[in-house]
This record gives sequence, C-alpha cells and structure tokens, in this order.
Amino acid sequence: MEEKKMTAKEIIESYDGPKLRIMEVCGTHTHEIFRLGIRKILPKNIELISGPGCPVCVTPVSFIDEAVMLALEKQAVVCTFGDLIRVPGTKMSLAGARAEGGTVKIVYTPLDAVDYARNHPEEQVVFLAVGFETTTPAACLAVKKAKEEELANFSILTANKTMPNAYQALKGSADAFLYPGHVNAITGEEECRRLAEEDGISGVIAGFTAKEILTALAVIIEKSQTGKPFFVNCYPRVVRPEGSPAGRRIIEEVMEECDTEWRGLGVIPMSGQRLKEAYRDYDARIKFALPHIEGRPNPACRCGEVLQGKCLPPDCKVFGKGCTPQHPIGACMVSNEGTCSAYYQYGGI
Amino acid sequence: MCVGLAAKVVGIKNGMAVIDASGAKREVSAELLDELEPGDYVMVHAGVAIAKITSDDESETDELMEMLS
Amino acid sequence: MAEKKVTLAHGAGGRQTAELIHEVFQAHFANPEFTADDAAVLSVEKGRIAMTTDGFIVSPYEFNGGNIGKLSICGTVNDLACMGAKPMYMTCSFIIEEGFPMDKLEMIAASMEKTANEAGVRIVAGDTKVAGKGQVDHVFITTAGIGRIEEDVHTSGAFAKPGDVVIVTGDIGRHGCTILLAREDLGIEADIKSDCAPLWGTVESMLNVTKDIHVIRDATRGGVGTVLYEIAAESGVGVSLDSQSVPVDGAVRGVCGMLGLDPLYLANEGTLVVIAPADKAELLLEALHKGKYSANAAVIGKITEENPGKVVMTTEIGAQTLLPQPGGELLPRIC
Repeated sequence: MEEKKMTAKEIIESYDGPKLRIMEVCGTHTHEIFRLGIRKILPKNIELISGPGCPVCVTPVSFIDEAVMLALEKQAVVCTFGDLIRVPGTKMSLAGARAEGGTVKIVYTPLDAVDYARNHPEEQVVFLAVGFETTTPAACLAVKKAKEEELANFSILTANKTMPNAYQALKGSADAFLYPGHVNAITGEEECRRLAEEDGISGVIAGFTAKEILTALAVIIEKSQTGKPFFVNCYPRVVRPEGSPAGRRIIEEVMEECDTEWRGLGVIPMSGQRLKEAYRDYDARIKFALPHIEGRPNPACRCGEVLQGKCLPPDCKVFGKGCTPQHPIGACMVSNEGTCSAYYQYGGI
Repeated sequence: MCVGLAAKVVGIKNGMAVIDASGAKREVSAELLDELEPGDYVMVHAGVAIAKITSDDESETDELMEMLS
Repeated sequence: MAEKKVTLAHGAGGRQTAELIHEVFQAHFANPEFTADDAAVLSVEKGRIAMTTDGFIVSPYEFNGGNIGKLSICGTVNDLACMGAKPMYMTCSFIIEEGFPMDKLEMIAASMEKTANEAGVRIVAGDTKVAGKGQVDHVFITTAGIGRIEEDVHTSGAFAKPGDVVIVTGDIGRHGCTILLAREDLGIEADIKSDCAPLWGTVESMLNVTKDIHVIRDATRGGVGTVLYEIAAESGVGVSLDSQSVPVDGAVRGVCGMLGLDPLYLANEGTLVVIAPADKAELLLEALHKGKYSANAAVIGKITEENPGKVVMTTEIGAQTLLPQPGGELLPRIC
C-alpha cells in the first residue's frame, strides 16, 4: 500500500531530529513568517533566526544624518521609500526633519523621483537609494534616465548593498539559510550553489507565500538529514538559474563595488555599491559636498547582535521599554520587517 | 528585504508595462525583461518588473514536495 | 466672468456674510428648525439623548465616493448610530480659507443636504468663519449632533462578552485606500470608492432584529484593527480574529500588496464593527445583506475570555498569532 505523503506543514510539525538553526536573511521573510504564525507551529528543535536582510535595519545612522542634512541644510527635496521615514538618526529621523520644515516625499519607485525632478526644475531632488540587488537596478535605471535627459536637479544618496560577502560574515550563525528569493531573481543560483559546494554553507532559495515558505522549510529539514551541504532553488517560478542578466548589467553599468558600513555588523569589505565615475554628477555626496559624518547610535541598543543572531530582541535592555515601534531607538524596531518590531508586534501569546 | 508583487501585464509601451494586481494598476519599468507581452505575469519590485513568472505557487510547491519523496 | 471666491469680507459679519449664508447655506439646509437666531430651539421627547461632535480636515476635500461635506454628516450620524441613537438634529461650523471657490462650497453644501436627508437628520444651526490664505487647508468643517436612543438599547465598547461574535458590516479599507491614492501621488490607478455613507439605516435594520447588541463602533481612523484593540481593552476580553473571513475588495487588496499595507489598519467611513450574542449572528447577517451599505457584511471572529486586551488572529496556515498593535502614520513600504 502506498504511504500517504506528508504535507510540508506536517514535515515541519513532526520534525524530531537534531537541533536545526535556520536563518532567514530577508526582512520580508521575517515579516511573513511572523504574520503567518509559522513560528507557532515549529517544534522546539527548530530555531528560526532573523538575519540582516532588511535594508532599513542595516542602514547606518550616518546615512540618516546625511539625508536629514540634505533636507534641512541643503534644502533638497528628499525622496524616499516609506520605510526610512521613522529610522532614528543621531539627532532626528526624516519624520523629524519634515516637522522642522524639510521636504520629504514618499515615492513608490526611484523612477517617480526622476519624474518629479523633471516637473520641478527649480528644486533639487535627492533619492535615498537603499536596498540589495533586487532594489539597486531601479536606482540605476533612475540615474541612467536622469543622465539621458540631462536633468541637472536629480541625484541619489547611495547605501546599496550586496549579499554574498554578508553570507561569509554570517557563516556559522546557522545550519542553513533561507535565501531571499527576490535578490536571487537578479543574482541567480550560482552564488548560493558555490556557497554549498565550496564553503559548505547550506541553504534554499525561498518564495514568500505561505506555501512557498513552508515548502522551503520542509526541504531544509529533509535535506539536512543527509548531513551534507546542500542547495535547492525552491522558488523556480520566479528565480531562473541565471537570474536576471539584464538586471546585473544595469548595476554594472552604473555602479561599482565599495566597502560599506552595515548597522551592527560594521564595515564589510566590498559589500556596498556606489556610482561610477561617469555618473558622479548624480552622486548627492559629491554634488552637495557632504562632510564625512560619524553617526552615533544609541549605546543601549543591541541591534547589531540581533542582526547576527547573537541575541534575541528580549535580551536587549531597551526592547519594549524605551524602544517600541512608536518610539524606536534601533533600526530593527523601525521597519515592519525588523526583527525587534516583529518580535514586539507578534510576540506575547 | 524586498516586497514583491505578482501582477499581470495588461499593456506595454516605450519600455514601460502597465501591470494589474487584482484591480490595482500601475506603470512599471519593463526594461529588465525582453519580449514582455500583455497576459504575462511578472514580479514587480520598486516600480520595476524584475522577473517573468508563473501566476501561482501551486505547481512549483507540488513538484518540490514530489522531489522530497 | 471671474470665478466667484470666498473672501475675508464673507466672514466679517456684514452684508456679504448674510449673502453667503442666504445663498449657500439656507438654500441647502432649509427646514423649519433652521435658525436665524442665536440658537435653535428644539422640542425633544422624553428619553435618553446621545450627543457628539467631530472635526473634519480631509485632504483632498473631494474624493471618489464623497467630499468633506458628506463626510462631516456621515461622521456625526454614524457616531450617534453606534449608540443606537436615531440622529435628529445637527449643527455645522465651517472654517473656510480665503479664496476658496464659491461653486465648490455650494457643491459641499448640496452634498451635506443630500446626506442629511438620507439620514433623516435636520441641520438646525451653523457658523461660518473665513481664515486668511494659508491658515487652513481649503475648508474645515465641525459638526455636532444629537439623537434619541432607542428604548432598551445599550451599546458600549465596554459591553463585549466572551462567546459574542464579531461582525463587520462591509468590506474594509476603502476610504483609507481612496484617500491614500488621491493624496500621495503614487501613480496607482484603482477603481476604489470611499465607503463614506450614513449608517443609521444599517443600525436600525439590526435593531429591528434584536435590541441585544453589545457593541457598535464605526471603524474610522486606524481601521478595524484599531477598533478591535479598543474594544478588547475596554471590555477586558480577548478578540479571536479569523484573518481569512475579513472581507476586502480585490482592488484594495491589490493596492495594499503594492504598498505593503494591511487593510485592517485602513480607515473606513461607512463600515461598522458590531459585537452581538452568537445566537443572533445569522439573523443579523441576513438583515445586513439586504441593506444598501452592508451587502458584504461578514462574521470575522469571536470574543474570548482568554488573552484579555489582545487580538489573536488565526492565519491562513491555521496558526495563531497576535495582530500587531496599530500605531503611528501608515507608511507605504517597499523593502
């Protein structure tokens, strides 16, 4: 008689093997996992760790300080994704800058900021470019378009980041990674495959629906039992093996690698992106001659350790007390995707 | 890290695609995808169509579960 | 001919003020009780009276499905209706920005007239002030109203009891979504109309089924999620919410998907949260489904003794998780 096949959810719920630590590095995964209540169905021996994959959370304090300076001292129209509005800087957030009279506009895409610049030639428009490989092509397309149209009043403030070197920095933090499907939609499978084959780092590329996340976790559980490093693309409907060559081409055309600071992790070499020499006219740091700013995060905040899976949000002294989604101290509490925010909002039952 | 939206392409012009997500429409960049046609499904992020996709997650997850047995 | 505009002289109390009142407000609000004196004189039957007031500053002042005038009537009518009170009389006070087009003011007054008639409420007194350019955003309206509470009806946010069902009278988030799209210039097009509507008829149809309704609350600012948390706190009970049975229009869902928002926190202006004994649920739904503004009514959860003060949601995978506490400005997110 054929045995009835177990569903992904049943595989997860019935796992009773050795302790398994799985790190999701994408903030949207963190958010969906909490929203769907996936943690509530995990057995005790599976631990989900939320890694540094929320661009808001890894954006250093000094970046916010630069943006505030652009809005208040340089009188620029600062265009940003909504996520960054409440992130605390050394003195204030962008919401604070807006209250002080700065112009801060929420846009859906950097391309809208270019449209705004074209329609308002008398204003200087700066787009805050954060994000990973998924988001960077949009910023590059915007800069390219501005250059083609010779817009003299558009520039971007870059804090773009790339994932591969971060995985190396996080090696050992988990037994397997849940790779961020939409980053891989651009980068493809190759890097993750190499991490398994050469570095012994296991992981699966995962999508974002309930079914996709559960299936990806079930695949990790089953593959872990072989004891060998593994890689599986569990999101083939979106992620092609080769990713998006066009997406990578536009990044290569407009940006180049640089060292960059990750909030909490410090500087990771060659893990950031900045504009190439040919596009320097569109670099807000150059255009507005911004001074080097040393951001000062609140010393009580343990976001850095949280991002590396070294401590849980409740281990932090200010969590839920001084630091709440309404009055965030650290970036992990600001973004809906942030680990602290997710723990605060969905925890407690 | 990246909120993605699966949506249907309902129109194309000048490197831009009009996408429809259950009645919400917006123009997004189609520059990263060749040969996009109305009726295709795409994953949209930050105003850019980043990948051509199949519309639902059903067959994908079924095949993966098949692989596990 | 130049477009007629409201000027500071219209607010100075002289001839032009009289003209404005006569041509715009009296023309639309005429009824036997509308006063030319300092206060309206009303006869009120014996019984309990509910009274409320609300200020309206919506931007833009005209939106798909309504305008600030309609909103200012609905807001007060619905607040009264939530107490089981049949709206009777209202007052309205305008603060108008200098330069506001007269035909728009006329349009707003006409809309108020129509909505008040539908709700069966009379506007009995008003006031007009004109503020200098830039001192207000186009036009602000404050309304107040009184209504007679039906006999044997006792509703309050503090009256939810374990075992009760939680009903919403329509699909949620349409007003908030409409305003967001109109205000934020996000380039999104969607056929979404504000649910802005006067709901006394809706409440009356429920009271005809049973007077034993424990809570009625209109899910305005902060949306259904916020209202559920308020009720959980005020009644000292838990709310168990079934995420899959919350009615949401497809286009609202699409916009929320694009912007990373949850319809549970979007404002409504014509949707109520109703909490009533479970054995009345079926009859209430039956009555609601016949109503003009409540065809999409649904049971979305129940009241529990466990988890007092909290809203616990059953998710699509059947797990239980806390509904995040609402708070702060709604920000579209991308990452």
